[in-house]
Amino acid sequence: MRVIISILILLCCSGLHAQNKQLLYNFSALPQTLMSNPGANINFDGHFGVPLLSQVHVSVGSSGVNMYDIFTDSNKETINARITTAIQKLTNQDYFMVNEQLEIISFGWRVNKDNYFSAGVYQEADLFAYFPKDPLTLINEGNRDYINVPFDFSDVSFTGEVMTVYHIGWNKKMDNKLTLGIRLKLYSGIFNVESTNNSGIFTTRDTPDGSNYYRHYATGLDIRVNTSGYASLQDETTTVQEATKELVKNSFFGGNIGAGIDIGGSYRIDQNFTATGSLQDVGIMYQRKDVENYLYYGTYATSGLEPLFPEIGPGGKALPYWDIFEDEVDANLKDETVQESYVTWRPFKLNGSLQFGFGETVGDCNYLIPLKRRFENIMGIQLFGVMRPRGLKYAFTMFYDRKFTPDLRMKVTYTLDDFSYYNVGFLVSKKLKNFNLYLAADNLFGYLNLAKSQHQSVQMGLQFIFIK
Amino acid sequence: MSPQYHFYRFFILLLILLGVTSCVKDVDLSQTEDISLQPKMQTDLLIFDIDQKDFIDPDTNLLRTVIKDTVRLEFLDDSYIQDDLDKVEFSFRYINTFPQAFNTSIYLLSENNQLQRSVDFKVQPGSAGNPVTTEIIDFIDTDEIDQIKRSIKMVVEVAVISNSDPFVGELKFQSKGLFYFVF
Repeated sequence: MRVIISILILLCCSGLHAQNKQLLYNFSALPQTLMSNPGANINFDGHFGVPLLSQVHVSVGSSGVNMYDIFTDSNKETINARITTAIQKLTNQDYFMVNEQLEIISFGWRVNKDNYFSAGVYQEADLFAYFPKDPLTLINEGNRDYINVPFDFSDVSFTGEVMTVYHIGWNKKMDNKLTLGIRLKLYSGIFNVESTNNSGIFTTRDTPDGSNYYRHYATGLDIRVNTSGYASLQDETTTVQEATKELVKNSFFGGNIGAGIDIGGSYRIDQNFTATGSLQDVGIMYQRKDVENYLYYGTYATSGLEPLFPEIGPGGKALPYWDIFEDEVDANLKDETVQESYVTWRPFKLNGSLQFGFGETVGDCNYLIPLKRRFENIMGIQLFGVMRPRGLKYAFTMFYDRKFTPDLRMKVTYTLDDFSYYNVGFLVSKKLKNFNLYLAADNLFGYLNLAKSQHQSVQMGLQFIFIK
Repeated sequence: MSPQYHFYRFFILLLILLGVTSCVKDVDLSQTEDISLQPKMQTDLLIFDIDQKDFIDPDTNLLRTVIKDTVRLEFLDDSYIQDDLDKVEFSFRYINTFPQAFNTSIYLLSENNQLQRSVDFKVQPGSAGNPVTTEIIDFIDTDEIDQIKRSIKMVVEVAVISNSDPFVGELKFQSKGLFYFVF
């Protein structure tokens, strides 16, 4: 139990940050910008990622608590008191997230000056959980100090998925002002868990005129946990080799499948201003294979066991009051495991930006060489949103993007979101001939003491980028 | 070297510096060993509501002065009790309108009917329209908690202390347990 609690708390403290890739968005020199906006303005003519290394993205964070809050080495109070304080401080709107993406294959080619195609395969894991405040308070503190206070089980809301994504995108320059893009995606689900739209109240009421001290109510309990790709792993006869084989098979459409689309565009408003927008992962997954659903539902109230008193059982033996009580509970509060297919929607993301370019690039004095980028400096604002079970989560970013040489660019961002008001991020992209290396890190100040940070995000990649 | 290049190098170095110096400070992760959940659960236990008819022996139709009942509390041998129960506070309450007092005993017995713990007290007499409440709290601390862990049955016994008043009235019994867990 202690191990489970420790893992939960460590996970909570290290939580995750939304997959907001504010550093890569609209970064026209990197192919990865096409993954957040297929209609981005790009200035390259081909790319090929180093397999497994063209994009590694990990982001972590939690909206309400950090590791220091729990594990501080000050001895003013016990760690259990700090956990209780943290649970009391957090609300059911706080959340934890984990997002990880690994590009397996990535490549693209320009067909002509107006059309660029890109394709690839990446693996993604995304976990999101609202803080289950009421159930966790009940587990941590019990009901003694919460008589007449309802514990709401709708606080339980989480999703998680691991999948492989196969995609192909088309970036088309419509005219000198407008670029549009689309990306089609096929999802191959490896694992999914979903528990949203739960309901139910547990209350212990004081009953001064009732039959006992209290009356316990479980009212309208309706909790459902859907899983796919999980039940077969639970089979104790499955060997590690078989489980691995199953996971690999599932990542190649052997499991559950789905489809989605990204759309986006860029519009040059005038010489200096450009607006962009995109919608990512508008997609659906059909969870049909290796599905298991866990259901808990019903309504029940009790004031305790009521023996017939005095005992009247045959031979003076005690009547099975407890068995009768258990049967009654089981008849009213159901616990079922079923195999029912279900549908999940991918958490769609939206991006928008307005940017201003200045400091025109001075190219070689040769009108035959087109300038791929017109400005040395770009600054602007970006808005990111991601759909979660209870609505969109937003992040607002201001950025400054500077091109130092044709092979060297950097971008600095300042982001406001649920995690922090001090999030400064930095991206650097360097080319050595056709080989490109980029590194982006979010929330730089957090690195000074990760224990006090509520999120961190890192992206890096190695690839070949070709410019004619 | 252009100024921009130096600027870039400075930022790269800064990034590397941040990477190298990034650390987890002012925390003590060995405290995970001390983490425990300590819920305190208030739970209703037994209730009954009896009158003079319940003291009549159905076989002989004669008044019995002592009656009792036994209830198995099957949850007491569940793992969360056996492994994680730390303390218990039982509360027992009688509400009496009989003009007689009662001696009551509450026993906790093992599977083999070995007595593990008992609580004995006197229920005060009341009268019609004037119920009298008698309440007692029995606290079982950590050093005695094995008495509860060995128990599986609760026996409630009520003995009338006869007097000259007519034996008519109602006796209500209420009980709860406050269970202290350390998970």
